[in-house]
Amino acid sequence: MAQQHFSDMPTSISARKVNLVGSRIRELRKGHRLTQMELSERIGVAQSDLSRMEQGEYKVGLDTLFKLLQVFDLKIGEFFGEADTAGPQDRELVAEYRDLSDEARQEVRDFVRFKKMQEQARPDEPTEEKE
Amino acid sequence: MTERRKHLEFLRKTARDAIWAGDYERALSLYEDGLALARSWKDRDLEDLFTCNRATTLLEMDRQDFDLSGLKEILLRSPTSPNGVLAAYASAHAHEVRGEFSRATFYAQAALQKSRDLGLEDWTAASMNLLANLELRESRFESAKTLFEEALGRLEERGDGLSREGAVVSDNLGYCHIAMDRVEVGLPYVQRSISLLDSLGARQAMDYPCLDLCFAMLKLEKLDQGESWGIRALGLGNEFGRQDVVKNSHYLLAEIYSTMGRGDRADEHYEALANYYPDFPALKHYLHQISLTGMLNLRA
Repeated sequence: MAQQHFSDMPTSISARKVNLVGSRIRELRKGHRLTQMELSERIGVAQSDLSRMEQGEYKVGLDTLFKLLQVFDLKIGEFFGEADTAGPQDRELVAEYRDLSDEARQEVRDFVRFKKMQEQARPDEPTEEKE
Repeated sequence: MTERRKHLEFLRKTARDAIWAGDYERALSLYEDGLALARSWKDRDLEDLFTCNRATTLLEMDRQDFDLSGLKEILLRSPTSPNGVLAAYASAHAHEVRGEFSRATFYAQAALQKSRDLGLEDWTAASMNLLANLELRESRFESAKTLFEEALGRLEERGDGLSREGAVVSDNLGYCHIAMDRVEVGLPYVQRSISLLDSLGARQAMDYPCLDLCFAMLKLEKLDQGESWGIRALGLGNEFGRQDVVKNSHYLLAEIYSTMGRGDRADEHYEALANYYPDFPALKHYLHQISLTGMLNLRA
């Protein structure tokens, strides 16, 4: 079908920015545990249109695209990290984190903050070789 | 044609010219004069005609202070007359503006069917263009393209290919190709459109062709040309109060500047765009990192 390559068309922008494409929308929706019905209601399109959007066949106006960004409340690192630099362990960790309850997620975030503070407070290890 | 009709036809022609030049207030005033005259003459047919013209003008002005049910009454009352076509067309346009696309499609199809039955070639082409625009909104680009091609073909057969209407359809057809990544195919249609509209003095209709050229040049990575068309589109959008054109222009210009590596200029346009979305304070931040161009439909 002629329209299939729409959303995945590489452009020069992709070198500098991440392209929002249909397949990414599907991944993000699933990552946020939203059904097509739920997401389509939140961004104001029909479910069948969202389905076409995820297949790269349905394009929308800026208002709808911005609603989508808002619903996902994306962390930019989420986009870059998962697309390019995350290793298998990182991905597994993210997947496990997403399986947690809200309360447990908060505990994980608190723990990460605690670990970061601990590392910042730790004096630098001596690196110079003794003569 | 009676003297009265001749006078009112002159009024309508003057009003149509005012619309193409972007002087909507003048067009509205002329149509309201015509409506008052038709009522004073108790000429129902002319009254219906001017009621439809007035409604269409108000829609062009982003106003909806007219009686939609009155248009539908005209359609019921005159199912086999040109006024019925006009009423169906205006009703379709009204529903489109309200975002009621399936109803809009229903009335656009009615306008198309009636205009075909009556052999009104100009209204057949206009109804096809309207129906195709509704298809475009729904990202049915192939089907929209076929309708635009047929509409343009009909206008060309009548010798109206180089008219303002022909120019608008040509731009729409060009956009279809551009949206389907057939930029090289679409570009000549849009370029033809803008040159025609310019030569015919139809400034108010030049905003979308400028925007389409900006989009095409961005896709072709001809960034300097894209910048120039984007600036023109933005200027026209502001001049004629078209918020959708203004927002899309800001977005495309920001993408162009961002690709050029001119972050400060990109930032100006992202910021201008973000001002339309005060409940989404992080928008500018996202737009600096994520490109939405591949998912964007300028006609949605």
